[in-house]
Amino acid sequence: MKNRTIRVLCPKLLINRNESLLQWLIGSPFLPPLTIVSTIRCIHGDSSSPDYHKESEDIRTLLLKGFDVIGALVMGDSDFENKARKALDAARRLRKLLSGTEKSENEEMIGAVANSCSGGIHFFISKTEKTTNLEPVSLVVHDDNPEKYVWENGCLLRCQLPIKLPFCFPVNKPSDADNVFLRAIEVVIANFKDPKVAYIVESSSKTFADVAQPVLVCGAELSFGIDLPNVDLLAQDSEQKLLRCAHFCSKSISSPASFSAENADVLQVSILFNRSEKFLKFNSPVAEYFPAMEEARLLIVDFKLEVICYAAKDLPLIYAVSKLIIPGLVDQLNSMKEVMLPHLLTQHPKLHPYHFNPSRMMLHPVTVIYELNYGETEMKQVDIRKSLHLRLGLPFDRPLLRITNALDFSTTDSSKRNSIQTGSSLVKDVHTTIPSSSVSGGITSLVQGSYEYYHYLQDGLDDSGWGCAYRSLQTIISWFRLQHYTSIDVPSHREIQLTLVDIGDKDHSFIGSREWIGAIELSFVLDKLLGISSKVINVMSGAELPEKCRELALHFENQGTPIMIGGGVLAYTLLGVDYNEASGDCAFLILDPHYTGTDDLKKIVNGGWCGWKKAVDSKGKSFFLHDNFYNLLLPQRPNMV
Amino acid sequence: MVKAVVGEETRLQLAEDRLSRSSLPAEVGLLIGKLSLTLDRGFVFDLVSTPRNDAGQPACSLMETAKDDKKKGSKSKSQPADSSSLLIDKDWVAEHARQVSRMLVGGMNVVGIYVWASEISFKNSTMVLCQTIKAVAEAASMLEADPDEKLLIHICYSPRRWTCRNCTLSSNMTSSSLRPCDFKMGRVLTSLQTFKCLYNFDLRLPIYHESASTSQTLSDNLRHGISIYAIELRSAKAMIDGKLVVSDETCTTDGLHEVELLLPFTQDTYIGACSQKDIIGVLVFTGSVCSFAHLNSKEPISQAIADIKGDIIRSLRSRLDILCDEADGHLSPSDDGNREASDETLRKKPVPQLVLHSLRVHSSIETGKYAIFHFRDEFLFLG
Repeated sequence: MKNRTIRVLCPKLLINRNESLLQWLIGSPFLPPLTIVSTIRCIHGDSSSPDYHKESEDIRTLLLKGFDVIGALVMGDSDFENKARKALDAARRLRKLLSGTEKSENEEMIGAVANSCSGGIHFFISKTEKTTNLEPVSLVVHDDNPEKYVWENGCLLRCQLPIKLPFCFPVNKPSDADNVFLRAIEVVIANFKDPKVAYIVESSSKTFADVAQPVLVCGAELSFGIDLPNVDLLAQDSEQKLLRCAHFCSKSISSPASFSAENADVLQVSILFNRSEKFLKFNSPVAEYFPAMEEARLLIVDFKLEVICYAAKDLPLIYAVSKLIIPGLVDQLNSMKEVMLPHLLTQHPKLHPYHFNPSRMMLHPVTVIYELNYGETEMKQVDIRKSLHLRLGLPFDRPLLRITNALDFSTTDSSKRNSIQTGSSLVKDVHTTIPSSSVSGGITSLVQGSYEYYHYLQDGLDDSGWGCAYRSLQTIISWFRLQHYTSIDVPSHREIQLTLVDIGDKDHSFIGSREWIGAIELSFVLDKLLGISSKVINVMSGAELPEKCRELALHFENQGTPIMIGGGVLAYTLLGVDYNEASGDCAFLILDPHYTGTDDLKKIVNGGWCGWKKAVDSKGKSFFLHDNFYNLLLPQRPNMV
Repeated sequence: MVKAVVGEETRLQLAEDRLSRSSLPAEVGLLIGKLSLTLDRGFVFDLVSTPRNDAGQPACSLMETAKDDKKKGSKSKSQPADSSSLLIDKDWVAEHARQVSRMLVGGMNVVGIYVWASEISFKNSTMVLCQTIKAVAEAASMLEADPDEKLLIHICYSPRRWTCRNCTLSSNMTSSSLRPCDFKMGRVLTSLQTFKCLYNFDLRLPIYHESASTSQTLSDNLRHGISIYAIELRSAKAMIDGKLVVSDETCTTDGLHEVELLLPFTQDTYIGACSQKDIIGVLVFTGSVCSFAHLNSKEPISQAIADIKGDIIRSLRSRLDILCDEADGHLSPSDDGNREASDETLRKKPVPQLVLHSLRVHSSIETGKYAIFHFRDEFLFLG
């Protein structure tokens, strides 16, 4: 019996060490067997009795097609084989529910038992559903570059399908509406397999030099019977040349560091109906009127379906459509149908799918369907997000699943979609290399996390003399981006001005002008574009600023966000304070947006454009002007989901 | 503005021979061809003479003012040429144009009129010619994207020559609307490429309760529905000979090309459906049409596809007209007892009798309980 190896790609397999923990192990038919890509927690029920129905309902739309459940992990200190068997049974049962088939599967699955004290994990595999013998596996491999493993040979398929479903029901018997609606949905689902349907596949990125032309896959070519793992064999056997996903993927060699879901090639699939398919019978046009037998009302239900799927680059397109896209659309439609049903005759819930790549711990995106009727901060939505954070093992103080953080596929330039990862020309974290402040015996409180340095003359915009507060705002927003609180692009000066006009704070003439903005305006923009609230501190004179040191130190300890200081004619970004409470000696870590040179770290540091400024320097000169009032903007880190 | 016009020499030569053998002093008729805005050229494929009207009068005759010449048909060159002018029954020519344009395939249209007359009578009749052209343009226009110009070809019998003028259509037409245009004979028909499209349509229009109060006939509803459908069709994608059309190129291969039209999934069947409204019935217009278009080898494929789409809409409208014309002739009462209850509602709306006439016997469906409308073989509003 040759030794099997389990490959674990996710960085942290054990989410936490809770007694009743049950985690589902996720793999993919496109990756070698026994490869654990990620893990998600079971949140309905517990390890002894999971609520399979609810779990499958959630996971059906959460997990992208192209990934599936390949095992389960439970906690246990002893009797590992039995516990593993229970875990395997649970996993097989869930897998069956998700695939919707009753037939027994012959997939190898993994049962894992984690020791709560040592954290060590015992792995077992079971070859088929019928075998009772479990095989223990001791060889467990972790990968150095898991992203490369998943995305080097993988790509994403995306399909958007708006559906307008009209149906009518008798006014006197509104209860009939439900059944008519359900039948209507069944017909749409059946129509996906109609031979007259045409699926157009094209590359969504326009950045390649040699973009492949869109290809049409017609409904008649699709085959639905074959299982995904067997596709490879079939594709090799087949004599005809099948067009594969790779046809639309970038042929250039990517650097290992850039493999990720955000950088993956995305194939766009559109669904059309061929109205020119030859009928056996040529019907001459006929007009008929059908009067209603009883009073009837017409109802239209709007669905906005959007699925993304994971596929191997060498998967033939016909299977990509039949085994990934269509099941994905069907599951999403069914899921939305369940939500719509109770509200059919009243206000329809506004359902919209979003895709997230929430953190480095999950190597692949997930799909969530949000109900947008009452906005994101509504209690029900907050609870939904909390349970998602729980399931995905995400921290509870980062709004990783907010809509602003959703993956944006509308930008066809994939490098733009991902400017954080591929890096911009801006200098980051300038303060890390500066000399220390000359405050002796002080406690330093600094900004927590990365930011980018924005200053005058960047982006070819000559804003010297008026743009300092704008640049400071850009630095602040870059901080929120890098901490994953938002995925919007850092706004330009014009976009900042547009925002202020949009909310009614400024007149239309403000746009394109060189007018200064202050702390209040910054707080408006942060609120509008990022949903961030801020505190504002006012001091009547620069001389009072040292008194605020304790408050500022507390801010950096608790919030850790960069601060904008504006006073007189100048605005600065404050990145930290060094404060000796006893002596009262203090220094301010200032990042100066008035710099007009190049983005060269050495130049910036040597020129003192980022440095510690004492309130009163050795020569007695004050950094802050005494006859000016100062406003400080303290953005508050959202501590919620 | 079309700068140059090419006429199909075989057909036009035949026409000229016929005219010169005839003893007519004047004749008017239609020009069949296409005006290509992309190429800035016009093509005339054939001439169709306007027949005598219902009263037996020719569409065009010569009007003498000074001399009382009873010798009809004389081509004597000794006419006092100053004052002879043409008398044209422009309404009749327009009706001719309307009927002919219904029969033309995609891309082809009535692009103007021709007149066989002497030089002088032509010169004296520019006003009436412009008016005729305008009437013809209005009658033959089926699509919004028609170019706003028409051609006027003058075949002069002595000296024998063909001249072509370009007439810009406007509300106020004068002789200055006519501009000379380059004209030559050539071979245009042989170099045409043919595109054929079989199109299956399925339009379902809900008839709302409130529209029952306005006296809209069902044919009005259908016409309106077809106009909305035309917009949907315009954005349809196309396949030519099994290949998806992505870029706009010219067609290099000869022969017949099959065009297939692709419309968004489940979006195109229900026209003008609004949610939460009470309906009293559904109008269904289904069937297949076969549409053709012809393309000059230099024109881009997108022109062929646009022509096919235009032809389909034109077909739908013509079919509707034909169905309505037929219905006006049949006024048989309905003998379907089930309809009595809804007669009351129907009386509020004048409907063409056609509708009741063509209802078929339906078989009820398995889930009869939910069938509000008995439909041929499928559930209403589904599929």
